[in-house]
Amino acid sequence: MTARRSAGAAVLVVEDDDGARATLVRDLEAHGYEVDAAEDGATALRYWERRRPDVVLLDLGLPDMDGLDVIRRIRREAPTPIVILSGRYEEREKVEALDRGADDYVTKPFGSEELQARIRAALRRGTGPAREAEGRLVAGPLVLDPLRHEVLVDETPVDLTPREFEILRVLLTHAGRVVTKARILRAVWGEAYQDEDSYIYVHVGQIRRKLAAADPAGQLRNLIGTEPGVGYRIATLERP
Amino acid sequence: MCPDPAYDPDMSGIRPSRLIRPLGVAIVSLAAATLVVGYLQDVVGVPNPSAVYLIAVVATALVAGTAGAALASVAAFLLYNFLFTAPRFSFSITDPGVLLSVVLLLFVGIVVGQLAALQRSRTAIATAREREALALFRLSRGLATRTSTLDVLQEVTASVRDELGMRRVWIALGPDDAAERIVADTGGEGRPAPAGLLQVLQRMPGETPAKWVRVHQASRSAGNLDTYRVRIEAGGNPLGSVWALRDRDGGVPDRSATRLIAAAADQIGQAWAQDQLAGAAQAAEIARQSDALKSSLLQSVSHDLRTPLAAIRMAAAGLRPDSQLGAVARRENADTIEREVEHLNRLVTNLLDLSRIEAGGLRVERETVELDDVLARAVERLRARSVDRTLELALEGPPVRVDPVLLEAAFTNVVDNALAYTPPGAPIRIAALADDAYVRLTIEDGGPGVPDGAMPRLFERFYRVPGRNGRSRTSGGTGIGLAVTSGFVEAMGGRVAARRSALGGLAIDLDLPAAEVPVELRA
Repeated sequence: MTARRSAGAAVLVVEDDDGARATLVRDLEAHGYEVDAAEDGATALRYWERRRPDVVLLDLGLPDMDGLDVIRRIRREAPTPIVILSGRYEEREKVEALDRGADDYVTKPFGSEELQARIRAALRRGTGPAREAEGRLVAGPLVLDPLRHEVLVDETPVDLTPREFEILRVLLTHAGRVVTKARILRAVWGEAYQDEDSYIYVHVGQIRRKLAAADPAGQLRNLIGTEPGVGYRIATLERP
Repeated sequence: MCPDPAYDPDMSGIRPSRLIRPLGVAIVSLAAATLVVGYLQDVVGVPNPSAVYLIAVVATALVAGTAGAALASVAAFLLYNFLFTAPRFSFSITDPGVLLSVVLLLFVGIVVGQLAALQRSRTAIATAREREALALFRLSRGLATRTSTLDVLQEVTASVRDELGMRRVWIALGPDDAAERIVADTGGEGRPAPAGLLQVLQRMPGETPAKWVRVHQASRSAGNLDTYRVRIEAGGNPLGSVWALRDRDGGVPDRSATRLIAAAADQIGQAWAQDQLAGAAQAAEIARQSDALKSSLLQSVSHDLRTPLAAIRMAAAGLRPDSQLGAVARRENADTIEREVEHLNRLVTNLLDLSRIEAGGLRVERETVELDDVLARAVERLRARSVDRTLELALEGPPVRVDPVLLEAAFTNVVDNALAYTPPGAPIRIAALADDAYVRLTIEDGGPGVPDGAMPRLFERFYRVPGRNGRSRTSGGTGIGLAVTSGFVEAMGGRVAARRSALGGLAIDLDLPAAEVPVELRA
């Protein structure tokens, strides 16, 4: 998909800093979006009710309410993509926001191009993950079939352990979105293991190695991206 | 029962078994003296050998004290009178000269006996004093050379137990009875708890000796043990107590023992109060250093902050609609702004990181991660910025146990440094190598390097290698980047080192703790 296809989409910007908000609005309008801007949580939720934007850009530090509450209110009603605008020292809040249902984050200061790419990705996945009719999950040459419990790369089966299979399934289900480690732990190990270090990094390393071995063309090289201290993200690949 | 019966200067506590030796000495020495006197008077013909009895009196005095000496004198008087004075085998004396000498024998015997016994008890007291002084010396030396008071208290309890003949000694610290927590205990059966009668040492101001005051029955069930308690105070504030269990048969500790236990309590109180003062002084020193840091930080950084700001301002002005710049120049201005913002961001990030390290407020969340994974983003950025360098990468190694966010920042700073101080075309090599408990991540370059003398100081904050100017301004140029690296790596349980690289330039080693990985996960 290209930037042109997402033009015309409605974006809600929630940012309390006047200069940053104005710059964002100008940049987004220049890229062809319809932009509403709110300087606090209450205004943001009013706009949200009235306009139902296609994507929300949310700064967590708001003067009147916790940014996390804004996420909660929006999530109660719709799966609208939410991209967090985060300062570097809001590391833990960033993770919490993702766990509460935000889809992605950009770290301040961010460049215009990075932001545009994130918005495009968010709009793309607004149409749903790469899921086929029989529940198969697809990313480029990679196909995960939950019913038959198998992973194929270019029709060749890849031998994953049950843990690795579950981790890949969670990531693919949320393709394009950042999946926090807590979320992977909950989904794969269950509630009891939430606080334990279950060597997720090592498992992911194994998955990457096995996929790389089955993919000599290197199409899947950057499939699983690492967000240090936060989690993982499966790149949204075009379907073949 | 006292473990050392000789150490009981309290002579009144005489038990039957302890009478045997003095009595034996008295009988044997008197008998021997009688034989010698008989021999001298009847065989040799010495007119009045009664003085020989004085030897027996002195011998008895040395083992039996003053009372024994007096008794021996009387016995010697009676023996000589009965056996050797005319009329013999009767207590009557006819010759006034002999009568005088016999009375003198009694008198001299008593005096010499008393002197000898006094000498003996003085020796005993001196020995006891020496022991007391030695015990006190050991105690104060232990506390004076301590690294931590709590460690020494265990030794103190043991020496108080041994020196005072206690069954068990423990020290509890806390401002009042309810808050007292046991910090040292010589051990013994069961839990350390008061038993039998409770005696508390009452201390008076000035010269008045401290005395034991019976407070109440601590516990009925305790058999033949009594409890002794000395409060630990410093500057009038209660800090805790020394507790001791002692056999009831042993009686109340004598003066010397009481002095010792009181001194122990005082010394512990002083040491403890001193520890608290030292803690406060350290906190003040940290606060002072933190202030000094802030001011040197401002000096060092204000220039590095202003320069990019000036560039941004000028470039932004060139983007105004009324500016005369063409499309290419405008694009370059926009690039300048982005680059300078990125630079400022790195600088500010490092400043905040450094202040977090200095403030000790760093939160480290360690996880098991793989280096190539956690550094992927940083390496990607590095590739983009080092198009004119030869980059060698070998990051595959065993997993490490680190905070991924801190590691990425630590690594980025070293890499920024290498990029800033190497000329185009210079090689940069990044490699990971397993080394026992650590995984060594080395970032080395083929640049000009730094003088050997500067190596140890590279990780100091605000240190800049003299005469070395970066090709481009980066966070490394402020003497902050590597300080942050070292702070982060050490906070994660690792260590950093700088050395000369085989490539000719500088090599920085980051030793990161290796992770324990279950066998089934090993590749």
